[in-house]
Amino acid sequence: MSGEPILELRGLAKRYGAVDALRGVDLTVARGETLAICGDNGAGKSTLIRIISGAQPPSAGEIRLKGRTVHFASPADALQQGVATIYQDLALAPRMAIYQNVFMGSELLRRSPVPGLKLLDKPAMRQAAKGYLGRLKIRLEDMDIAVNTLSGGQRQAVAIARALRWQADIVIMDEPTAALGVKETRQVLDLIHEIKGQGITVLLISHNMRDVVEVADRAAIMKGGTKVADLAVPGMTPEGLAALIMGDG
Amino acid sequence: MTRQDAIARFGTLAGGIAVFVGFSIASENFLTLANQLTILRQVSFLLILALGFTFALITSELDLSFANVASLCGVITGGLIHFGYNPILAIAAGLAAGVAFGALNGILVTRVKIPSLITTLATASVARGLAFMATDGVAWVGRWDQSFVWLGRGRLLGLPVLVIWSAILAVIAWFVVAQTRFGVWLTATGEADEAARLAGIPIRRMKLWGLTLSGLFAGISAILLTASLSSAGPTAAGDFLMSGIAAVLLGMTMFTPGKPNMPGTLVGALVIGVLSNGLVLIGAPYYVQDIALGIIILGSVAISASTLGKAAFGI
Ligand SMILES: Nc1ncnc2c1ncn2[C@@H]1O[C@H](COP(=O)(O)OP(=O)(O)O)[C@@H](O)[C@H]1O
Ligand SMILES: [Mg+2]
Repeated sequence: MSGEPILELRGLAKRYGAVDALRGVDLTVARGETLAICGDNGAGKSTLIRIISGAQPPSAGEIRLKGRTVHFASPADALQQGVATIYQDLALAPRMAIYQNVFMGSELLRRSPVPGLKLLDKPAMRQAAKGYLGRLKIRLEDMDIAVNTLSGGQRQAVAIARALRWQADIVIMDEPTAALGVKETRQVLDLIHEIKGQGITVLLISHNMRDVVEVADRAAIMKGGTKVADLAVPGMTPEGLAALIMGDG
Repeated sequence: MTRQDAIARFGTLAGGIAVFVGFSIASENFLTLANQLTILRQVSFLLILALGFTFALITSELDLSFANVASLCGVITGGLIHFGYNPILAIAAGLAAGVAFGALNGILVTRVKIPSLITTLATASVARGLAFMATDGVAWVGRWDQSFVWLGRGRLLGLPVLVIWSAILAVIAWFVVAQTRFGVWLTATGEADEAARLAGIPIRRMKLWGLTLSGLFAGISAILLTASLSSAGPTAAGDFLMSGIAAVLLGMTMFTPGKPNMPGTLVGALVIGVLSNGLVLIGAPYYVQDIALGIIILGSVAISASTLGKAAFGI
């Protein structure tokens, strides 16, 4: 691992009634790193991500972001503090325009002749949205078209553009390619390369070891609510990683 | 814009113009200036109610109480005027009743989590009961304060003031939805509540606002109706339920098809106003109007099934 830690998890635990979904996970993520979180079904990956993204509080343990202990009240709160989660299609309004989706909840405003009344700055939002998508190598001319007319890969790009708009330090993706075909999976992997290239930290959950080997710097392997391995990915093969997940840890 | 797109956006508008032309040919009294102003005056109550309903529907909530709430607001304002209270007080009380009912609807929907279809059906019944209770079932009619009556019957710049009030309200409603962050948040809440919530938009507060604005507009419409009639009866606005809903649903087939929108509501209300007036002028029996409204509602919903599926059957 290199560089200063941007995210540190200490003894993170989560109970659902009688189920121990997480039993004390320690994890350190360096700035700019792409970390894959792997493990079989029920290992606790999604639970871990839900806590880091602010969707749920932990039962015990601590999250430190940029050296400071944080408590996220909601996903929106986490977003404000720099942790953006890309939730497949869930986080987009399909019939609203691209620029409206990129700026949802944080619209750009301009002054109006009436004191105290601020209006939407649509031209600025269109232009900035185009800029964010350009940074992801997505060329779209019309920012007014509805998101539901875009391809799966382009939609992920819109969701990631929203993370860029918030100047997120960390982008979390839970199985971003699970529902996608070959071509769109390729687009999403390219998007991950682009955000890595911008120095953004990526947490990626994936079942697809080929994806992990392609984009991740490091993999944390989970089993039964604990982290059983933490290793550098370069040099590993998809088969080797899969064996680690299936093995006894 | 493709041809199909153009038909989807402007097809209903073209249909409305065709109806207008048809009545102009069928009845020689239709196209007179006096009759056109009569249509606009009659449409204004309907339009204001429909603008309010549109706010609620934009957040994906139904308000089936607006007509009965408007009747109650009219009874409150009209009653206070009738018994000699200050018109400002009477107007404030009517508006407050509208806002209170709208907010009550909003709280029941967002906090108690009763679907808006059920909530507003129930509060509609409560409002109706209260209006009958207050009036003993009769209408108050009288020689009322002239400044109050002017709000409904006056003229300004050669136009009936009602037309001016409703035009101002339509512009404000459009402006709020299309040009302000508040409006985008209302829209995002109705379009994708989960996405809006994840983006930090307070969706329950936006739904509360949508329903409260519907109540406020019901109050405004009620006051103008009461002033214009110089009377207040417990069912004065009752008939506007179907025509108000029809106006909004018709509007959803225009401009941004499948989505409730203020310009669509404006044109929808005008089309329904033209239709009601024209049917009377060509001597159609009174019940034809009800049948026409029903067909408009069904046809509009069939055209924009997607959004309405969400709003009407999301229970
Ligand atoms: N909301 C919940 N209520 C109860 N149990 C849950 C809930 N979410 C997850 N679990 C349980 O916690 C464990 C970890 O689940 P999860 O984090 O979804 O694993 P993964 O994403 O690795 O498949 C599983 O045993 C699962 O059944
Ligand atoms: Mg999972």
